[in-house]
Amino acid sequence: MIAGPPSTSLRERDGRRSKSERFTLVLAGNPNAGKTTLFNALTGLRAKTANFPGTTIECKIGRANLDGQQIMVVDLPGLYSLDSSSPEEQVAAQAVRGRLSDHSKADAVLLIVDATNLERNLFLVSQILELQIPTLVALNMIDMAEEHGLQIDPAKLQLELGCPVVPISARYGIGLDKLQHEIARLAATATEPVGFVPPKPACTGCSGCPFQARYAWTEDVSSRCVAHAYETRGRRTENIDQVLTHPVVGVAVFFAVMFGVFFLIFQVAKIPMNLIDGFFAYTAAFAARHLPEGLWSSLLVNGVIRGVGGILVFLPQIGILFFFLSLIEDTGYFARAAFVMDRLMRRIGLPGKAFVPLLSAHACALPAIMSTRVIEDRRDRLVTILVAPLMTCSARIPVYTMLIALLFARSPIKASLTFTGAYAVGVMAALVMAWVFRHTILPGESKPLVLELPHYRLPSLRTATLQMLDRASVFIRSAGTTILCISVGLWFLASFPRVKAPPPTASADTRVAAARDQLEHSIAGRLGHSLEPVLKPLGFDWQIGIGVITSFAAREVIVSTLAVVYGVGSDVAEQHPNSLYDTLRDAQRSNGKPVFNTANCFSLLVFYILAAQCLPTQAVTRRETGTWKWPLLQIAYMTGLAYFAAFVVFQTLRHFGFA
Amino acid sequence: MTNTLPISETLVRLHELQPKVCAVVRRIEAEDDSMDRLKSLGICVGRQVELVKRGDPLIVRVFGSRLGISARLADRVLVEPCRGGCECPDGTKVPL
Repeated sequence: MIAGPPSTSLRERDGRRSKSERFTLVLAGNPNAGKTTLFNALTGLRAKTANFPGTTIECKIGRANLDGQQIMVVDLPGLYSLDSSSPEEQVAAQAVRGRLSDHSKADAVLLIVDATNLERNLFLVSQILELQIPTLVALNMIDMAEEHGLQIDPAKLQLELGCPVVPISARYGIGLDKLQHEIARLAATATEPVGFVPPKPACTGCSGCPFQARYAWTEDVSSRCVAHAYETRGRRTENIDQVLTHPVVGVAVFFAVMFGVFFLIFQVAKIPMNLIDGFFAYTAAFAARHLPEGLWSSLLVNGVIRGVGGILVFLPQIGILFFFLSLIEDTGYFARAAFVMDRLMRRIGLPGKAFVPLLSAHACALPAIMSTRVIEDRRDRLVTILVAPLMTCSARIPVYTMLIALLFARSPIKASLTFTGAYAVGVMAALVMAWVFRHTILPGESKPLVLELPHYRLPSLRTATLQMLDRASVFIRSAGTTILCISVGLWFLASFPRVKAPPPTASADTRVAAARDQLEHSIAGRLGHSLEPVLKPLGFDWQIGIGVITSFAAREVIVSTLAVVYGVGSDVAEQHPNSLYDTLRDAQRSNGKPVFNTANCFSLLVFYILAAQCLPTQAVTRRETGTWKWPLLQIAYMTGLAYFAAFVVFQTLRHFGFA
Repeated sequence: MTNTLPISETLVRLHELQPKVCAVVRRIEAEDDSMDRLKSLGICVGRQVELVKRGDPLIVRVFGSRLGISARLADRVLVEPCRGGCECPDGTKVPL
C-alpha cells in the first residue's frame, strides 16, 4: 500500500485540527455524475464562487452544518482521470491529492459516482482510492439505475472499495440524510480507506497500458456488485438521439432552441432592463433636483448613479441567459448541440461548443464571454472570446436605428435590408477573424471532439436558479468595479476643464447651449477635435469624434452625445428621437453642406458594427482570461478593423459621388 | 490479452465498423492528449465498443455511456469486430 506525501500531511493535521479550523471536503467525480446538484443539496445558498489561486478556473465553496460540525465543501471541476492534460482536470486532480491551494488542504474526498455507468466511473474511483486519502463514495442516480434494471449491491461495493458507499439520488434527495451522517462521521474520525488493493497490470513484463489494467478491475468489480436483471439503460436516450444528433434535423432543432433562448433574452430582459433604466434615471433626476448644482452633484448623477445603473442593466440578460443555459445543460441536450455543430464550426477552426457563446453574443457580449467556460481547450476559448464582441449586441441597435433613420427615412424596405446587412457583417467579420486568429496568434486546429453524451434527464429549477444568482454575483464582484471606474473616468473626461455653469434660473435653451459648451471644452471634446485629422478619412468630423470617445462606456452613448453636441439636449432626444434625427439631418457644415450624408452614415454604421466601443466587454474579458493582454488585443484589433472597413466604405462611396 | 496480434486483416478502423456490431479495441495509433482523453473515457485496448451512429463526428457506445468522437480520432482506433454473437476474448458476452 502506498502512503504518499499528501496522506502523511493529512494524517499530521488530523490530530491537531482546532475547533475553529474547518474540515475541508472536496467534491470530485466525472462530469455529468451530478456533482453540482449534490453540492447545491449539501450547501444551498451558502456557496460562493472563487478562482483557484493563479488560474481562471473556478470552484464553488460552500459550508454545511452537519451534526453540529462546520464543514467546508469545495466543488471541483469534473474529471475523468487524475492524469488528464486539461487545465481544469489538473486543478481538480491536484485538489484531490490534497493540495487545494497554498493555504488550504483538502481533508477528505467525497467522490460522486454515476450508478448508471459504474464501470467507467470506477476508473477514477480506483485512482483516488490509491491515494489513501479519507474517501466517501456517493452512488448517485440510484433511482435511475433501478429504473433501468441495474441492481447494485452497495454493501458489496463497500467491501470491494474499502470505504463507505452511500446510494443517493441528489436530485430527489434520496439517501442524503445518510450521506450527511457519513460525512459528519468522516469529519470526526478522518479514516482512510482500508483493504483496497490497487489494480495491477495483467502482465508485468509488457509496457502495459495503465488504462487497460484499471478497466479490467472496474469491470471485475462491477460484475460482482451489479446484477443486470433486464437492461434498458440508454434505450430512451438513444431514441431521442436519433433525432437530435441527425446532421440536418439536429442542427435545425438546435437553431430553434437557441432562437428561443435568444428571443427570451432579447424580449423578456427588456422589461427589467427598462425598469432598471427608469429607476436610475429617476434617481439621477431626483438627486439632480435636490442637490446643489455643481461639480459633486454632477459626479454623483452622471458618474456614479449612471455607472451603477450601467452595471445593473446587464444583470437581466446575464441572469436569463445562464438560467436557460443551465436548464438546457441539465437535460443533457448541450452535448448533442456541440455534437451536431462540431462539423460546421470546425471549418473556421472552432469547436461545436463555441456556437452557444457566439449566438448569445447577439444579445450581449458580456454573458456570452462568461459562457465560453464550456469550451475546454484554452486556445479554442480565447478565439471565441476575441471574436464574440463582433456580433451585433442589443446596445448597437439604437446606433443602427439612428443611422438608418438618417439614411433611409422614407424607405422601410431599404432600412430593413440595411439592418439585416449590419447583422450579417458582424457575423461574417467574426467568422473571418476566428479563421485569421487560428492561422496567426493562436495556431492549430481545434481539439478533436471527445464528448460524453449523457442520458437525458429532467432539468432542475433549483440548479438553474442558483446558477443564475451565482453568475450575476460573479459579474458584479469581478466586473462591477471596473465598469464603475470606466463610468466615472468618462464623466471626468466629459466634465473637465469646467466652463461656467448657467444660473439655475436660466431657460431650457440656455442650459442646452451650456451643456454643449461644456462638452466641447472638456477633455473629451478636445480629444474629439484633435482626433479629427485621423477620423477625417472616414468622413467623421470632431462632433462624431466626441461621440466615438464617450461611447467607450457603451455604444448607445453616441446617440445622446450627438444630441448634446448638436444642441438638441439629451432629454429631448430620449423622449422624441425623431427631433434628434431631424436636427442631425438638417445639420450643416460651415460650407453649407449637410454634416450627415450617405457616405459617412454608412461609414459610421460599419465603424459601429466592428469597433470595440464597450469597455465593460474588456473588463469581462480580463476576468475570464486572467490577463490584460487579451482585452487589449481585442480592443486593438477591433478598432483597427473598424477603422480600415469604415475607411474603405467612405472612400469608395465618396468616389462614386455619395458624399 | 495481446495487442501485437499479426491479424491485420481482421482489424478495422473504428469509424469503418458497421453500426450495431460490437468489437474489441486492439490497437491505438499515435498517442497524444486527445487519445488519453479517449482512453480515460473508456476507449482503450481490450475494451468492448459498439458503433451507434456513423458519420463525423460519430457516436460510440462503451460501457454504459455514449461518446461523440471526431472521425479523425476514430480513424486511429483499430478494432476487431465480434462476429455472430461471439464471446469476446476478454470474456465479455456480446449481446446481439
